[in-house]
Amino acid sequence: MSREEVFERLHEIFWDVFDDEDIRLTDATTSDDIEDWDSLEHINLVVEIENQFGMKFTMGEVHEMKNVGEMVDIIIERATK
Amino acid sequence: MKEYRFEEISLGLSESFQVEITREMMDKFRDISGDVNPLHNDTEFAKARGYEDRVVYGMLIASQISTLGGVYLPGKYCLIHGVEIDFARPVYIGDKLTISGTVKEIHESVRRLTIKFVIRNQTGKTVSKGILKAGCML
Repeated sequence: MSREEVFERLHEIFWDVFDDEDIRLTDATTSDDIEDWDSLEHINLVVEIENQFGMKFTMGEVHEMKNVGEMVDIIIERATK
Repeated sequence: MKEYRFEEISLGLSESFQVEITREMMDKFRDISGDVNPLHNDTEFAKARGYEDRVVYGMLIASQISTLGGVYLPGKYCLIHGVEIDFARPVYIGDKLTISGTVKEIHESVRRLTIKFVIRNQTGKTVSKGILKAGCML
């Protein structure tokens, strides 16, 4: 799975979770950049990513995700395991 | 009260309980919510619209999902994140409802459970169904 493919799918997930198709993700995007990205939406986001990508993260991985770029890194790493 | 901890919960785990809807519950819900709509408060109005009697508040039925999560599944350590609910059939005062929930997803990374629930009346008909998204704090 390429980085571009992951970004493409992540955009769909973010648009759905936050109900906002104006969201544009970059490696540096964090919760500070998306107004509704609070602790509950973070859970909803992780659950949706796990379901859509068919993978389960560990609690540690979720805590380590500092921005979308790191999220993408973990998804690619898990997808290739 | 059930006291399931996160690590004790597995896919397919189910819990259920029963409740009878009373006139007093309807009165209390009207007072708390302020919903004085005649469909729920005026028998003649409801009958004129094809119902057997005044219709029990959907959100009173939905309140049983708070009990499903907070008392039964997972119980004591529950934190409700969200509920999606459909109201499939009318419920009337005196109906005896069985509320059942089953764990369909477990997301360990964020300690989130997805619980599918169904509410059936005394004849076994589904009156409501939906999804409860709940955290388990321990």
